[in-house]
Amino acid sequence: MNCPIKTQENREWLLEYSAGWLDRERASMLERHVETCPACARFVEEQRVVWDALGQWESPELSADFNRRLYQKIDRAQPSSWLLRFLHPLWRPLVPVAAMCLLIVAGVVLHTPTATVNPARSHVESVEPEQVERTLDDLQMLRELSMTPAQEANSSRPM
Amino acid sequence: MPQWVKEDMGATSLAFDCDAELMLRVRDGDGASFALLLEKYRVSVAHFLYRMVQDQPVAEELAQEVFLRVYKSRESYEPTAKFTTWLYRIATHLALNWLRDEKNERGQERLDEVAEDGPVREVADRAPTVEHQMVRQVKLEEVRKAVAALPDKQRAAVLMHKYEEMDYSQIAKVLSCSESAVKSLLFRAYETLRVRLAHMA
Repeated sequence: MNCPIKTQENREWLLEYSAGWLDRERASMLERHVETCPACARFVEEQRVVWDALGQWESPELSADFNRRLYQKIDRAQPSSWLLRFLHPLWRPLVPVAAMCLLIVAGVVLHTPTATVNPARSHVESVEPEQVERTLDDLQMLRELSMTPAQEANSSRPM
Repeated sequence: MPQWVKEDMGATSLAFDCDAELMLRVRDGDGASFALLLEKYRVSVAHFLYRMVQDQPVAEELAQEVFLRVYKSRESYEPTAKFTTWLYRIATHLALNWLRDEKNERGQERLDEVAEDGPVREVADRAPTVEHQMVRQVKLEEVRKAVAALPDKQRAAVLMHKYEEMDYSQIAKVLSCSESAVKSLLFRAYETLRVRLAHMA
């Protein structure tokens, strides 16, 4: 076979061979070449060192609550259950119909003239002057309470 | 894994990709199938991400984001590629983005810091002498630094090739490049590692 390093032909075989992944037929072809090619022999030797070194690199274990945290995130990302029920495929065709009905009802309510007098409203109107008077008294009292002694003396001094 | 097995798997993988079948069930609302996929791949995805970013809490967060995205995109899932290709494409995308942002913020120094306190988290041998353990930790630190020093795409290619045992075509699909580009990435990466780790023979 041609030298994989010199010709760049099948050079991935060198990687696969160093990893022990090359099938027997190709491996024996490459082995025959490597025996006579110092460059390929050095490549395989050095690549095996890298492969073994990488193989020693272990990863830390996952946290015990990995799944719990993930499912929490999934729950947070999902719409709430009532919305899900509302948006269920069975209900979806009814959503525009319901919206239309709601609009019609709202339109009817807003445009119907109110013939009856609201007793609560009339009651409010009847007590309004008294409330205003009481509020003014309260404000006056608050103003007097918030005055400092100096201000009080000034305000009580004759002009 | 022997090359012929990989090639054979590549040819028939789509037809018998039971993971894609599980994902289709997830699409139909089967939560148990999602739990199965999570159980099957969470460790390998988290380890891949750990070796990419070399920071365990970040790797776990990114791994969670990977599975969250899998779950969120279940309704639009179409089995056009192997499930693992899709899964690692998401993972690689997230890792490369994180590395880019991290480099923009703090440059390369964070990786060095992580590498310095990292060996403490390594699993110890059964009954190693203190000296043996120290030598091992120094070696592991060198491996981590050597991998961290690789350009991001080269690193991703090496990790998928070495630890996930992916073939060139699958790595190419994950990285969205050609097979020949993957071979070039791998050769350049391993060349750098051979130089940096030659003394470990």
